Amino acid sequence: MGVRITGIGIVSAIGLSVEENLLALKESRSGIGPLTVLDVGRDLLAGQVKLCDEELGRELNIGPAGISRTSLLGLKAAREAWGSSMHSKSIRTGIISSTSVGGMDRSEVFYKEYLSQKHPDYAVLKTHDSGSTTERIAAELGISGYIDTLSTACSSGANAIMLGTRLLLQNKLDRVLVGGSDALTKFTIDGFRSLMIYDDEWCRPFDESRSGLNLGEGAAFLLLENEKSVQLSGNATLGYVSGWANAADAYHQTASSPEGTGATMAIRNAIAKSEISPDRISYVNAHGTGTKNNDLSESVALKNVFGDKIPAFSSTKAFTGHTLAAAGAIEAVFSVLSIQHNLIYPNLNYKNAIAETGLEPVTSLQTENSVHAVLSNSFGFGGNNSSLVFTDQI
Amino acid sequence: MFYISASSTISHQPAFQNAGFSGVIEPLLADSVLITPDYKGYIDAGLLRRMSKILRMSVACSKDCLNQAGIDQPDAIVVGTGLGCLQDTEKFLTNSITIEGLLPPTSFIQSTHNTMAGQISLSIGNHGYNMTHTQNTLSFENALQDAMLLLMEGQQHVLVGAADEYIEFLTQVSENLAAFDGQYLTSGASFFVISNQKTDTSAAAIKDCRSVGLVDDTEAEIISFLAENELNAADIDLILYAGYSKSNFEIFLKLGIDKSKCVDYLAYSGLYPSASAFALHIAADRIQHDKSVGNILIYNALVPHHLGLTLVQPVEA
Amino acid sequence: MDNLKEDLKKQIIEQLNLEEVTPADIADDTLLFNDEGLGLDSIDALELIVLLEKYHGIQVTKPEEGKEAFKSINTMAEFIRNRKG
Repeated sequence: MGVRITGIGIVSAIGLSVEENLLALKESRSGIGPLTVLDVGRDLLAGQVKLCDEELGRELNIGPAGISRTSLLGLKAAREAWGSSMHSKSIRTGIISSTSVGGMDRSEVFYKEYLSQKHPDYAVLKTHDSGSTTERIAAELGISGYIDTLSTACSSGANAIMLGTRLLLQNKLDRVLVGGSDALTKFTIDGFRSLMIYDDEWCRPFDESRSGLNLGEGAAFLLLENEKSVQLSGNATLGYVSGWANAADAYHQTASSPEGTGATMAIRNAIAKSEISPDRISYVNAHGTGTKNNDLSESVALKNVFGDKIPAFSSTKAFTGHTLAAAGAIEAVFSVLSIQHNLIYPNLNYKNAIAETGLEPVTSLQTENSVHAVLSNSFGFGGNNSSLVFTDQI
Repeated sequence: MFYISASSTISHQPAFQNAGFSGVIEPLLADSVLITPDYKGYIDAGLLRRMSKILRMSVACSKDCLNQAGIDQPDAIVVGTGLGCLQDTEKFLTNSITIEGLLPPTSFIQSTHNTMAGQISLSIGNHGYNMTHTQNTLSFENALQDAMLLLMEGQQHVLVGAADEYIEFLTQVSENLAAFDGQYLTSGASFFVISNQKTDTSAAAIKDCRSVGLVDDTEAEIISFLAENELNAADIDLILYAGYSKSNFEIFLKLGIDKSKCVDYLAYSGLYPSASAFALHIAADRIQHDKSVGNILIYNALVPHHLGLTLVQPVEA
Repeated sequence: MDNLKEDLKKQIIEQLNLEEVTPADIADDTLLFNDEGLGLDSIDALELIVLLEKYHGIQVTKPEEGKEAFKSINTMAEFIRNRKG
């Protein structure tokens, strides 16, 4: 059981297209650098997309007014994934995006003016709600019908892929664009700083000295098609979504359980759904945010599932920063590229194993082994844990 | 068929723990207030002290539903919300803009859209599928369709609902955008347990649900929706509709549906993005308590470019 | 009566929105993070760090620093007095 992936699109701190992202991954080149697009009152490191709103607007041939950066980024990635797909009355097409803060990048500017009573433009707020960011992308691509947005914090993007897969398998749709988008905002940066998990230095996932995350921004989309749709589109299959699961940790509002309860369930159930044995997983693209809590809990979960035979694993957050709702989608694209090009990405900035678990991630690019199956983890606030399995065949 | 085993609403109407309410409620007045049950009876004090309005409402409705259905744990929790946790979002946003130093984290944590679903799972210790849909006025319909998919996939009981909360700032937005004239902006939460089989507590059944974003031809969508469910417009006993444009009536007229069969549910719920969840509760309650009502269509055109259609029927004998 | 300790109790109740707790309910040696005490959690610990900055001008940059200091009202008062020298 599973569905075909026939298109991918991505924009992140390491590139504005699939090709640019792939090159940066191959060159072990991080996109994290000093934050310049926002004034948050201090120097910080973040994974910025290297185009401002005006430049994005020009590239997309769209006025930057009346559209949030979240939509602009999403549209850039969605267009690449959509490619030259055509609309047809007989192909039921949907879109499922995900975002954590929607058009907050615009709303927070509005609200600052509002608080200082500077006669702000209320029309800006039309781009605030998370759903509107997806509607705008749908409108630009000419998609109507099933339009949905998921918002489950940092696992959102993975959940969009999962829901799209389920809708295709239940024959509710023939084709669906799935993914996520989040722009950097002062709101989220201040939020993670208030939790004291924003690292002033480079984030160091799975390292003993890790002390938090660096936020990033970006978007990614995947095009999923059923048999009928592929027959019409003639699109080549890039890989398959073969396993998926979501489970609640039910432990704490923000922290993951020390036993990795929800994460273990998500990983186990996703692999079970894919009907492959755990030892067939070639690579794990971990959630690995670089916070004390997540990386320890995720390491415990990996040990719970794989015992002492843990597959090659790494977090790519040190390339892109943590892109919140987009992360699951961005890392899904990385997973597909891993399968297509037999690549296992390095976990940048790693030096020493976490004392409690002793797990060592991959630290340099591996190109020798063929990659057949990739497990991708995305864990969010509220104990929302999702895992996906991507394979080269079903 | 998907069976509604429990329903619970906290809103400006006396619907909470008040079966049969659909027969007695009146349209809202300007001074109607949000019902406030004794939350301590539903929520642990340690969790309650941090909870905003929308969180209290959602968790209390969820617990009420589980009690009604007589189940400890649903197989999944699915929530829809149009605007999410506005109270905490506004609070953290204000702090972020006005405070120079360290910011209190609680309102940030609780500003995320999935706080309701997360808090419900935390309150009852649920490890199942946990999802949050946010698609403006179609948030509830999308959550409901996800729940129906889960039941098709073999789950037995899914807790599904929707919630939105009013904050004063919304009034300023609506005045400045000259939108929603004459509508009362309100808060509301409605939750349900829907099950793949009939149970002792089944009040009504959901036959089908569809959401159409950026809808092109509303009339054609209604006709095809009814046709897929082997119905004609004449088979509909009651339409619960939202949408204050005259075009709705033109559509009903064209379909040959008499005006007397059409009830504006926003007049009862007040205006919030996921108010169609309250309409489902009205429909379930009405069908359970009025045997003369067969097919109820919930027609959600609260914003004209989005269409939500939900078909509710009696539980077959 | 130790004014600092009484102030701390009031500030904690306000900062953490402890709706049903009065200063009299909190003894100087009540364990704040123990379920038999106030039953606070890691989010509260962060709120207490904000409290220290807001009311006492003390900056704590790592949550771990707070762990010992936040055991009870006694330890908090001691921590504040030490920091202020």
